[in-house]
Amino acid sequence: MRRILTPSSFLTSTLLSAGFLLALLFVWWWNSRAPTPIVLTPTLTGKPEYCLTCHADLPEISASHPVETFGCVTCHGGERLVLDKDLAHSSMRGGANPSDLSVVEASCGGSNCHSGSEADDRHHIQRVTTSIQATYAGAIANIRFTFGAQTDLSPHYGIHAVSDDKTQTGIQSLLAFDPFSESNPNIQKFGEECLTCHINATPREGDAYARQTGCAACHTPLRLPSNSENLGGVSRRDEGGGVHALTTAIPYTQCNTCHNRGNYNLRTMTFDERTDHSTIRLYDYYQPIAQFTKCEYTLDCIDCHTRSEAMGDGDIHADQKSIEYVQCKTCHGTPTELPLTKTLTDPNDLAFRLAFLNPVIDLKLGDTILVTEKGEPLWNIRVLPDGTYEMYGKATRQYFTFRPVMGSGCTQTGEDQSSSYCHECHAVER
Amino acid sequence: MTNLSRRDFLKLARDGFLWLSGALALGGLLRFLDYEPNPAPKTEFDLGPADQYPLGSRTLLTDPPAVLLHTESGFSALSLVCTHLGCTVEQNADGFICPCHGSRFDADGNVTHRPADKPLHSLRVEITPQNTLRLRLD
Amino acid sequence: MRPSFFHHLHPPAIPAAQARWRHTLGAGGTAVFLMLLLGVTGILEMFYYVPNPEEAALSVQTLTYHVPFGGFIRNLHYWSAQLLLIVSAVHLLRVIFTAAYKYPRRFNYLLGLGLFVLAVMLDFTGYILRWDQGICWPLTTGTNLIKTIPLIGGFLFRLAVGGGDACQTALTRFYTWHIFALTLPVVVLGVWHAFRVRRDGGIATPPARLFLDRTRIPRDELVRREAAAMFIVGILLILLSVFFPAPIAPAMIDKPSLNAETRAPWFFLWVQQMLKWGDPFIFGVLIPLGILTLLALIPYIFPQPADSDIGRWFPKSNRLAQVVVTVIAIFVIILTLINT
Repeated sequence: MRRILTPSSFLTSTLLSAGFLLALLFVWWWNSRAPTPIVLTPTLTGKPEYCLTCHADLPEISASHPVETFGCVTCHGGERLVLDKDLAHSSMRGGANPSDLSVVEASCGGSNCHSGSEADDRHHIQRVTTSIQATYAGAIANIRFTFGAQTDLSPHYGIHAVSDDKTQTGIQSLLAFDPFSESNPNIQKFGEECLTCHINATPREGDAYARQTGCAACHTPLRLPSNSENLGGVSRRDEGGGVHALTTAIPYTQCNTCHNRGNYNLRTMTFDERTDHSTIRLYDYYQPIAQFTKCEYTLDCIDCHTRSEAMGDGDIHADQKSIEYVQCKTCHGTPTELPLTKTLTDPNDLAFRLAFLNPVIDLKLGDTILVTEKGEPLWNIRVLPDGTYEMYGKATRQYFTFRPVMGSGCTQTGEDQSSSYCHECHAVER
Repeated sequence: MTNLSRRDFLKLARDGFLWLSGALALGGLLRFLDYEPNPAPKTEFDLGPADQYPLGSRTLLTDPPAVLLHTESGFSALSLVCTHLGCTVEQNADGFICPCHGSRFDADGNVTHRPADKPLHSLRVEITPQNTLRLRLD
Repeated sequence: MRPSFFHHLHPPAIPAAQARWRHTLGAGGTAVFLMLLLGVTGILEMFYYVPNPEEAALSVQTLTYHVPFGGFIRNLHYWSAQLLLIVSAVHLLRVIFTAAYKYPRRFNYLLGLGLFVLAVMLDFTGYILRWDQGICWPLTTGTNLIKTIPLIGGFLFRLAVGGGDACQTALTRFYTWHIFALTLPVVVLGVWHAFRVRRDGGIATPPARLFLDRTRIPRDELVRREAAAMFIVGILLILLSVFFPAPIAPAMIDKPSLNAETRAPWFFLWVQQMLKWGDPFIFGVLIPLGILTLLALIPYIFPQPADSDIGRWFPKSNRLAQVVVTVIAIFVIILTLINT
């Protein structure tokens, strides 16, 4: 017997369509929760970036890198169109630190930027990758010699392989140091424990160490904790928090993040981080038996240690001695000689560029500044009409004046000019 | 009879023409689709000055994926393209491992674990008169 | 009213047994709905997608993150495609397990199998159209697999990819395959398949002389049931799309980095697992093709199910087909799980 079923109740279909409408309303609401994208089209690339949607409150990294010109992606990489945090960040160069030397060429390089020609003085990346700060060549050679892996102190290895085809020092290339191919356990231990603080090494795990390599190791100073007025030597990454800044006014506290971070323990071949927090600079860094003058702890490191000393001169060196050359006499002269000077006549002089980047002094054409024996400008020290000198602290902007040794009561002969001789009379008493 | 066979002949001819046309069209289509519009992949790669790679060095190249060796006997290179299905193998402590299907190779490129059954290709490295290195895939 | 294709698919009344959920699982109808949805969302995606290696991934990012409801549309397209594979597989299993493939429906069974293969190919080509770092290795291995086929492998590879290094060049062809050259056959086969369902007497049930249930449902009721199924699937898709976004990865820059995705898309995980065993031609081409051939031959060479068993679940008379298909399904599922 044929039978036609009566239609099912309308209730089901009404309920279902109500559910469907609810689902669509939910989609509409969900979609409206998305943040309003903020677009930035940097003039350098002409390609829109949406990083500012989340990072609008980030301070400008430096006056030389305005965000309207550079944007974010030029330096940091990342997915410029993506509004999902993880995906947007997933392809960033060097994680939080695009200046890490493994990616620095892509982030900071380019002939108009920081891997230009030596003549333009834009070969920063070449200089820093060959510098001792990056290669650690001398220490590696020393350790290998000490434990019998090589017969003399000549450098063969750097943290990464580097070469210099226009060598002034005779060191043409360094191979990459591979601790695992060493047979001596002490050298292996050294490789594991003692390479992480060098700016070409793989940074240690953790946010606190994220910016301790590459350019940022020096040029991105910590934002010090608010009570750091008297913190003196030690400032720790984990106290400063995130920083978005690049500067050439590098305070000594920044140098101390590596150079006063602790000590090597040669018995265990480990690095012991210091845990104390000394608050007075005078007592913090200088070891009890050391002798030093007042300027050595009043000024900042960069006031004496010039660009090429700190960042390398483009040649491969293997020890501190062969790259550090500034002495007391560089600024003060000797009883028989005044320090070297240079009168600025060229508006394109490097001194003006450096003074522009770190405007602590109003250098003008016709000013006479001090220069080192290698011709590097001490652009923050100007000769005054009366024959004395004025100086502005590069990091502190503090104002100092000082006299030359010539004409004073000093009787030190011209040959005996290393600091230990000066310290005989001018050391600070503690 | 003649009438019928004429009709059959015409039908046969028509069918033949259509089949031939179809075959020609298909052949044309296959040839059409068989063209490679993209330039052949590069087979020569300049690696820059030879003295960038000092004696004893072992350099990972990304384009093409390969490892460049400088030994007492000169320069040589090992392709890092897996001989199984073409993923780039990754270096590990014993040699190389392919992330896609798990083939393993020792440091010289010989297979130590299937599915790959051919060793990693060794590539030719030439030194140009300008003392730069040139890698060849062919 | 003049009869239309819609009326062909929806006669004034059909036997109630043919429209019972526990008999059909609603799989075929859901597949039709998903295909319609795929067509619509796919066309919407085309308004923004730029099929050019430099810009493809960026246009996907724009669609996903900037176009209002763009991410939702893309997620809908993605989930409809994944669900389509599952629903098609369920449909295939239902047809086997109820012996519905028997003559006169065996030709339609082949059409359905062809649709299933096309759906897999569409899913793979669609996945490649993301053109980001997640797709390079699956694309490389998938297309290199084609090359291992003796004699015609190189030709088939050029046919699919256009030659060269797939990661650099395949986009144009995969776009064409996905948008048109595979979709058009799906439309043709799909319409044909639906037409044949009615032509062959509707959903398979035992012949009238053996089947005493004479209950019928009117057209309105059938449409209402279909609408109900669409609403349910639609709500499910909406929830999936909101809470589980479709995968996306950083744009491809030259070759992918070392941490790029090396796993195949989920529906090929079982093939990837087999590829770890040895010769790529045997494990990557012959075995999958063998399985497909075996499935295609079931209505032709396996013992014929009894007429009285057609449309009944797990009848004795087609035990062999049930066992074979179950073994294949378990094999595929286990391989997939091993590789997960």
